[in-house]
Amino acid sequence: MATDLTTDSTDRLLDGSDEINKYNFVTKTKGVFRARKGLDADIVTQISEMKDEPGWMRDYRLDALKIFESKPMPQWGGNIGINFQDIYYYLKPTEGQGRTWDDVPDEIKETFDKLGIPEAERKYLAGVKAQFESEVVYGSLEEDLSKQGVIFTDTDTAVREHSDLLREYFGQIISSSDNKFAALNSAVWSGGSFIYVPPGVKIEFPLQAYFRINAEQMGQFERTLIIVDEGAEVHYVEGCTAPMYSSESLHSAVVEIIVKKNARCRYTTIQNWANNIYNLVTKRAMAYENALMEWIDGNLGSGLTMKYPAVYMMEPGARGEILSIAFASQGQHQDAGAKVVHCAPHTKSRIISKSISKNGGRSSYRGLCKVEDGAVGSKSSVVCDALILDDKSRSDTYPYIEVEEQDVQVEHEASVSRIGEEQLFYLMSRGLTEAEASSMIVSGFIEPLIKELPMEYAIEMNRLIELQMEGSVG
Amino acid sequence: MSAYIPAAQESEIPDPGTLLVEVAERLIVLIHAAGHFYALDDVCTHDGGPLSDGPVAAEQGTLACPRHGAQFDLKTGAAKTMPATKATTCHEVKLENGTLFVRLNAE
Amino acid sequence: MTSTLTRTTTGFTQEAFDDFLATRNEPAWLTELRRNDWAHFLEYPMPSSRDEEWARTDIRPLKLNQFSLPMAPHSETYLSGAESGIDGKGTDVSGSPCLPQTVLAQGVDLGGRTSSLDGYPCASELSKQWAEQGVLFGSLDALVTEHGQRLRPYLERPVVDPTYDKFAALASACWCGGTLLYVPKGVRVEQPFHALSAMSAGPDAKGTDAKGTDAKGTDARGTDANGIDLSRTLVILEEGAEATLLSETASTRETGAGLHCGSTELLIGKGAMLRYVNLQNWNMDAWHFAHQRAVVRQQGTLQWTIGALGSRLAKVNQRVALIEPDAEAQVNGVMFTQGRQHLCYNTHQHHQAPSCHSDLLYKTALQDHSRTVWRGMIQVDPPAQRTNAYQRNDNLMLSRTARSDSIPGLEIEADDVRCTHGSTSGRVDNSQVFYAMSRGYTRQEAIRMIVAGFFQQVFDRISIESVRNALGTAIGQRVREL
Ligand code: FES
Repeated sequence: MATDLTTDSTDRLLDGSDEINKYNFVTKTKGVFRARKGLDADIVTQISEMKDEPGWMRDYRLDALKIFESKPMPQWGGNIGINFQDIYYYLKPTEGQGRTWDDVPDEIKETFDKLGIPEAERKYLAGVKAQFESEVVYGSLEEDLSKQGVIFTDTDTAVREHSDLLREYFGQIISSSDNKFAALNSAVWSGGSFIYVPPGVKIEFPLQAYFRINAEQMGQFERTLIIVDEGAEVHYVEGCTAPMYSSESLHSAVVEIIVKKNARCRYTTIQNWANNIYNLVTKRAMAYENALMEWIDGNLGSGLTMKYPAVYMMEPGARGEILSIAFASQGQHQDAGAKVVHCAPHTKSRIISKSISKNGGRSSYRGLCKVEDGAVGSKSSVVCDALILDDKSRSDTYPYIEVEEQDVQVEHEASVSRIGEEQLFYLMSRGLTEAEASSMIVSGFIEPLIKELPMEYAIEMNRLIELQMEGSVG
Repeated sequence: MSAYIPAAQESEIPDPGTLLVEVAERLIVLIHAAGHFYALDDVCTHDGGPLSDGPVAAEQGTLACPRHGAQFDLKTGAAKTMPATKATTCHEVKLENGTLFVRLNAE
Repeated sequence: MTSTLTRTTTGFTQEAFDDFLATRNEPAWLTELRRNDWAHFLEYPMPSSRDEEWARTDIRPLKLNQFSLPMAPHSETYLSGAESGIDGKGTDVSGSPCLPQTVLAQGVDLGGRTSSLDGYPCASELSKQWAEQGVLFGSLDALVTEHGQRLRPYLERPVVDPTYDKFAALASACWCGGTLLYVPKGVRVEQPFHALSAMSAGPDAKGTDAKGTDAKGTDARGTDANGIDLSRTLVILEEGAEATLLSETASTRETGAGLHCGSTELLIGKGAMLRYVNLQNWNMDAWHFAHQRAVVRQQGTLQWTIGALGSRLAKVNQRVALIEPDAEAQVNGVMFTQGRQHLCYNTHQHHQAPSCHSDLLYKTALQDHSRTVWRGMIQVDPPAQRTNAYQRNDNLMLSRTARSDSIPGLEIEADDVRCTHGSTSGRVDNSQVFYAMSRGYTRQEAIRMIVAGFFQQVFDRISIESVRNALGTAIGQRVREL
């Protein structure tokens, strides 16, 4: 089993010199197990056995595999040129999970050091998970939170240790038959976070998960389930990076969230995958009476992203807010968006989307606002703004608005424009170069979103945007 | 709309199985499961998928939408699983001398 | 073309098509075109909900073989009413007592008029003044026979793509009747033209009562067949020409099945200006499938107004292409639905050249169990810098059981653009109703006023008074007490 798994593909690493160098490095690792390339029932069974899972989960996976095989590729969105047989579906990087960073093998720890995770943890996080390839290699949670009954673990551990709680919700919000990539994830999922916040517990600092794909042609399929019990609050942050290889990799996650009565959940993503990664993710939350679900979704990396975080407002007074930023540069297609579904009276939603296309990039907003029969007194507002920075780039907007009720207020607005010349001249007349001026205007454009981020992430986000802007000015 | 309208022959629907019929210009899916007959609007409340193309789960008493897998209760039309959250309309069926009659629910 | 064939075949079979061709006295090149598109029609599948464009519009209840190709021109009595002349600004400009009342040309001084029933021409007139200046107007069939060589290029290179889908292929292969308007270079016609496409209605679909109509299941042709209208509209404005065309559709009875499958092509030359109004007012049992496309050249201007009131189910593709610099298009849509109507209108504003301007506004009010789908797209190609494009759709929900889907879209590949869209859905504001009632209006009057107010914004854009009045009246009559 222990073939030489040294990831040594530095020579094939593309020199993405123009874009975001900080993440473009490969760590030489000795993994402990790697399933052979390709996808079939044997691989799925093998993954399940490696994880020592109960029979129900193995059957769930095999069933999902069948659904995956029977579903056609989506005919909309981006071009998905994946050869599913040319991907490694499971790579176990270490034996067991570290409780302290010292337990984590040096080379992997080094990766996260470079990415600044341990430092962030010391400074402002209530808990951290770090996933490397298929498995979570490090996990921590502040002691008093675990004393209060908060669970923050990886989903594999949850299958073993919290199986009743997990089974109640797993796959209930996003079933295997929801779409082709949800089926794929359900068949081969590994890692991801499982969070339970007991009634009334408000977690002040964010819980963060960090996802790193290191190996070439690696698929990462984390599975996250968050349950925020009545009156509880949590903010979860995920960051994603990978080095740039010449061949493509796949990231396909499923994230399910339950926000019970009077609870709040905020889920922030800063996605900065390398440009050779297909990022095809299904994220959905159900919000109950007077609960608030917020998605803050920043998409800067990946070659193709298709991701539309959703909030189903199930009971009166539920609210959903989604802020989405997408930045597409050369070789990138960000097909991002948001979905809000009003299923109960007096529910409220708001979607704000800001997208930027530059240097041949394509960004698309694709979204849904649905008001179901019976959701009287519901209100929704959807605003999409797009900025196109040059004539090689493209911007699309596809909002779907479905109203089945009379007493509602639904508003949608979208506009696409370029950087105003007057604005540019004004700034340049004040001594800025054109690049600086554009960069400043772009910062102003996404400012409403940035200010929703905790300080540290706002700084990171701004820095990433600057890098994207510098990347190819000229 | 209170009349029973002949819709199909009993023998046309295997158990378990479905048959798409048109009753007074509405598309209705007739379902045969565990010896009983049911009738639902052939419209998935999630995104309009044709329920008549989906599989019947006789033990659970549900019909699943072929598009994203939402399951509907055969007796009531209630949405049992995501991504559907709303019931589809269900109609009354009766069997007389091998013929199935449907009485449309006005909605 | 007065031979009367009895129909031997129903449905759209090869045999029926051959019979149909035999009734047409057309040049070989045209027959060839028809055969080509017919082959596509046979080959293409019926659209299904698996096609994204049809996912919201279920046409499984449509049984094509309940309809047949139009093959029987009307008897003489039908055509005889057409003598009153266009100068008598009568109430009924259709020219025949057997045709439905027209509404768009009330009190309008017309430059010409034409009407058809089930695709066969009833009456056509063109005032001398315009005929002398080279204007062609009337039934497309008749004019193709007369001016075949002049019209050939337009039919050989159609503006609507006949290979788009099964309905486009059928419309192109089997068009029968319809309207041609051709205005030569520099001719400006102030008087509007009027066209009516009427369709007979089949036996009452529900079978039981004929709801007091006198025709009792016998259509205008004296048969009991379902109605059919495969009319085609072709408008050609040469450089600097100007014209207004008011076209409307109607059924001979309020109930009874019919099928319309047709196309509309508008060619607006350099600096030309067209105002085109199309009122779809079939009865509630009719199926309506239409492909419509306008092409506007340099500095050309189009004002296109659509009224969508009728039909059981409508699926319309309305496209505007601005293909040369500084072209301009304004699109107005007025939709009112009731009962179990399902109207699906797909609009497309295609900016292919720099400095063009397009502005679309669709207003929809929905009643009862009706459903509307409006899907709009603004597409801006890379060369179309300095584009200014706008689209907006507002829905007024008049009942709890109605449903509206709005899908505005933008696909932008140029950077120097201003493209905006907006959409709203909401109900009648109760406080406004109470206010009006406190001022002595009945509830229904109040609601009618509010509905009228909702449409005012689009009416304000329609520059032809008779059209505003006709749409306003039709909607007023339909609004029920909430
Ligand atoms: S359309 Fe039925 S589950 Fe989506």
